[in-house]
Amino acid sequence: MTLFEFYSSLGESFDDVLSRLRLESRIAKYLGLFLNDPSFDELKNAFDNNDAKTAFRAAHTLKGVAANLGLSKLASSSSDLTENLRPGSFTAKSQDLLEQVELDYIAAIAGIKQLS
Amino acid sequence: MDEKRPLILIVDDVALNRTLLSDVLRDKYDILEAKNGNEALLFLREKTYEISLVLLDIVMPEKDGMEVLSIMNKNGWIKEIPVIMISVENSHSLIEGAYSLGVTDFIERPFDEMVLMNRVTNTIRLYTKQKKLSDLVLSQIYEKTRNNSMMVTMLSHIVEFRNGESGLHILHINTITEMLLRELLHRSDKYKINRDDIGIISTASSMHDIGKITIPDSILNKPGKLTPEEFNIMKGHTINCAQMLNAVPLGKKEPLMKYAYEICRWHHERFDGRGYPDGLKGDEIPIAAQIVSIADVYDALTSERCYKKAYTHEKALEMINNKECGVFNPLLIECLNAIADKLVHSLQTFNWDRQADKDFFYIADSMMKDKNHPIYNQTFQQFINERKKSNFFESMLDGILFEYTYTPSIMKFSPTAAKKLGLPKTITEDDKAQISGIRNDNWEKIKNLLQNHPVLEDGPILTRIHLSIDGKDVPCQVSYIQIWKGNIKNNPTLSSVYGHIDVLK
Repeated sequence: MTLFEFYSSLGESFDDVLSRLRLESRIAKYLGLFLNDPSFDELKNAFDNNDAKTAFRAAHTLKGVAANLGLSKLASSSSDLTENLRPGSFTAKSQDLLEQVELDYIAAIAGIKQLS
Repeated sequence: MDEKRPLILIVDDVALNRTLLSDVLRDKYDILEAKNGNEALLFLREKTYEISLVLLDIVMPEKDGMEVLSIMNKNGWIKEIPVIMISVENSHSLIEGAYSLGVTDFIERPFDEMVLMNRVTNTIRLYTKQKKLSDLVLSQIYEKTRNNSMMVTMLSHIVEFRNGESGLHILHINTITEMLLRELLHRSDKYKINRDDIGIISTASSMHDIGKITIPDSILNKPGKLTPEEFNIMKGHTINCAQMLNAVPLGKKEPLMKYAYEICRWHHERFDGRGYPDGLKGDEIPIAAQIVSIADVYDALTSERCYKKAYTHEKALEMINNKECGVFNPLLIECLNAIADKLVHSLQTFNWDRQADKDFFYIADSMMKDKNHPIYNQTFQQFINERKKSNFFESMLDGILFEYTYTPSIMKFSPTAAKKLGLPKTITEDDKAQISGIRNDNWEKIKNLLQNHPVLEDGPILTRIHLSIDGKDVPCQVSYIQIWKGNIKNNPTLSSVYGHIDVLK
């Protein structure tokens, strides 16, 4: 799969990312690095440990990284979760929002793994 | 010559984000990466003068971006190191908070590489230009004031030379005048002088005896007592000098001229009106002249002259207190007694080079503190602090030395100190947990001393504590100097401490 196909399959715009980051090789490198980024695992763990503060930070980080990589769906769901957690405690909606983040994250990761 | 590449500090807890930034900037800039606020502060402290720009994330573990900013404000770094915030954060109040803490710019993620590059380049260019200008101003002032004070020193030496004296007299008067003035300002605001006058008055004090060039050799250098006629001629050096200064065609309204005139004419007046040439009484005598007269008498007593031997410091103080050399302003006698111990020390450790630099430090200091147009210059602040530090360390080279900064909390020990105390050479806030046992006791005691007992004092502080040295519990004397941020009288904060530990036998 090419970068263009990858972004299209996720419903994202490859041109947007390319115009910001300039080089295809650079984008490929960052997507590769994203596989090892611990933010998502930290987010899950924070939920398991009932630690809303850490969860906020991890969601915030994920939002930033995703936005930079042009993964706007993941960025948007992370953003919703970030705002939900900003006051510093979990709410009734937190779990649902996490599930949306997880769906977007898994889709992105699955796509990256298929990049040649 | 190769232009040095500017150094950029990237602060972000996410490795991917740091890489993204450094990849873009690496072609033109040298990069430092910090993964949290504490690491960033360490770099800022170590490389304050090398870092040209900070790219700062807001949300981070350990210390977050806002905390880093507030410490940069506290230490004055923000005035010379521009900060660009980069964050996906879009909360209005947070961004506003960052601006109010002095960030130059805010870039929102996802950013455009071209925009980032241009903002970084522009910011660095502006700051570099500003810094070059303020360096230029200060170094020119430095040159000028050094030359000025050298001219004054040369002139006054020429007069002294005729007396067969070394010129040390002038420098002693200078030092004593300065110390008395400081003490006086500390004790009273009765007289209309301020901090900026201290430098001018002590420079003017160098001129106090230039009237002596009008006195014939036979009288000036006569061993033994002068006849009443001769003494009358000798007294004339005050009026003669006043006339010479009056004839100078410029500077009539300058403070230096005003003080020089007052000092030359009236430094032999006495508080009870029994001095000469005009028999002025009490505060009719300008305060600058009163101060120089007491300095002059003290130094005359403690020096050998062609007509007398030198008295000891104690004897001289006693004679002045007993009015054996005429009556002085009681407030100034109080000041003299208060500075007596420090005075002996300063006169003994006198240094010509330091003297020539002194006027400059007065000017630089007042420029940097100017309310309306502060010239803030890290390089010079550092220069001044380094001088204080090296003066203190000169006398105690092979000892247990330490250096402590408050924010961020960093302790550095000399190699000998680290060995004897059993502590690492550098201790930061993060390392605290790793120190245990007896070693930890030493660290806690020293830290407690520095953090919990600040004394508002510019000079060295001495105190005794028990420490474990080479594994044995022994009494020690700790002496240290504190470096204050801001005016010592007006809401000062401690920035660092330089110290020395003596093992008491």
